Amino acid sequence: MEQRDVILRVRDLNFYYGKKHAVQGVSMDVEKNRITALIGPSGCGKTTLLRCFNRMHDLYAGNRHEGEIIFKGKNILDKDTDVTSLRSEMGMVFQKPTPFPMTIFDNIAYGLRLKGIKNKTELADRIEKAIKQAALWDEVSDRLNTSAGGLSGGQQQRLVIARALAVEPDVILFDEPTSALDPISTGKIEELMTSIKNKVTIVIVTHNMQQAARISDYTAFMYLGRLVEYDKTDVMFTAPNEKLTEDYITGRFG
Amino acid sequence: MITGYARRKITNAAALVLSACAAALGLFFLFYILADVLRHGIMSINLKLFTLDAAPPMMAGAEGGLRQAFAGQLMLTGGAVLIGVPLGILGGTFLAEYGRFSKIGRFISGLSDITVSMPSIIIGTFIYSILVKPFGGFNGWAGAAALAVIMLPIVIRTTEEMMRLVPWTTREAAFALGAPYYKVITQVVWRGAAAGIFTGILLSVARVAGETAPLLFTSFNNNFLTFDMSGPMPSLTVTIYQYAASPYEEWVKLAWAASFVITLFILIINILGRQFIKWRYKN
Repeated sequence: MEQRDVILRVRDLNFYYGKKHAVQGVSMDVEKNRITALIGPSGCGKTTLLRCFNRMHDLYAGNRHEGEIIFKGKNILDKDTDVTSLRSEMGMVFQKPTPFPMTIFDNIAYGLRLKGIKNKTELADRIEKAIKQAALWDEVSDRLNTSAGGLSGGQQQRLVIARALAVEPDVILFDEPTSALDPISTGKIEELMTSIKNKVTIVIVTHNMQQAARISDYTAFMYLGRLVEYDKTDVMFTAPNEKLTEDYITGRFG
Repeated sequence: MITGYARRKITNAAALVLSACAAALGLFFLFYILADVLRHGIMSINLKLFTLDAAPPMMAGAEGGLRQAFAGQLMLTGGAVLIGVPLGILGGTFLAEYGRFSKIGRFISGLSDITVSMPSIIIGTFIYSILVKPFGGFNGWAGAAALAVIMLPIVIRTTEEMMRLVPWTTREAAFALGAPYYKVITQVVWRGAAAGIFTGILLSVARVAGETAPLLFTSFNNNFLTFDMSGPMPSLTVTIYQYAASPYEEWVKLAWAASFVITLFILIINILGRQFIKWRYKN
């Protein structure tokens, strides 16, 4: 597979929850400014893999990893990685919208303030820019100082994406971002992901095969902790090499 | 022969009647006490209650109030809030966050539940042994500390419960933006739990404002207005206890008036607290 500009280089990654070997010897390159979809049945390790990229597993005891994930020339799995700065370069959006219990403005300002940006005009500018990128400006521009809890589920998810975009990360990791949303909101989020990929690399875990086919440039199929096949999305969906991939994509199991 | 279905219906009816009777009995006495306090209290209440200090009984023309007891009560309760609330919030935060999977966390949580129903006189004697006896006499700080100990488990447990209500993924989202744990707690979780924690504090204040037993051993009582927490402090509850048992008619009337005020105060705080919960769940 020809790769041009690789942003994440995964090499022989193994991940264990206690004795459970959740990710088994995965190696893959994630291309910059592209959308890479991780698909596979529940429990195949795709979310575990995603959460390795921003070291989310550090929050919990009893797991360990082997192998490398090279990002900006460094193995981010190294013990001396500054997890705080890594996470500001690697945003994450979750399955359920996660607005903070504060105003829309403060929600998006949160990551910026963590980075030490206090200047009010700079904050306001970057917040407006982020909300516009997330295609939410028309809906919330007149109520930035109201609680984010008052937004609909789809709006909240776009708010969360705006919050991730505001700190200008290199990568945003999406963990089934639309599985809790209605089709119209889902469509808006998909459009949004396509529109921001020139600024940010996207890795998305999805259970929705059509979604992977619609928006992603590359698709990785995982099964029982292993990476079965990884290729351009149109190849994966039209002429996969592996029988297993074909069976999964055509809905014969999963 | 009674069939299974008929038997269940009879059992159901019997349980309904019994529980309704029990509830009616409880409500009857609750309203009886409230009505009695209101009736006697309203007859005895006037502005002098709040503006004058206690006067010796049986003196011709002497008029007295309970200003000293109101001031003392406020200082004791305020002192208890100052000690109990920060400790309780920090303790509850530990249980909900850092200690949530630990054995010691679960142990403390269970212990707090037991302490909530601990007889307050035992807390009074405990504080007596560590803050009164070693310091040579009754003092206001000991009273505030005793009330704080009673507040503590209530504040700890509501803080813990309210913080647990904040979804775990909300915390993960804050971590994912690069926030360290203490900022996740103070800026995100506390914010989400603030209304609930505040309600818990209100209810704990209502709980301690009516306590007499722990004060008998600690702040005792005083018939003079004082702002010195290191000496005996007057309190409404102990004053009610002493005045109600006295043979003097004026004192008994003052006790009724004080009972009225304190009952009203606790009632209002309770209602406010509960309204706050309702309002929170509406939003």
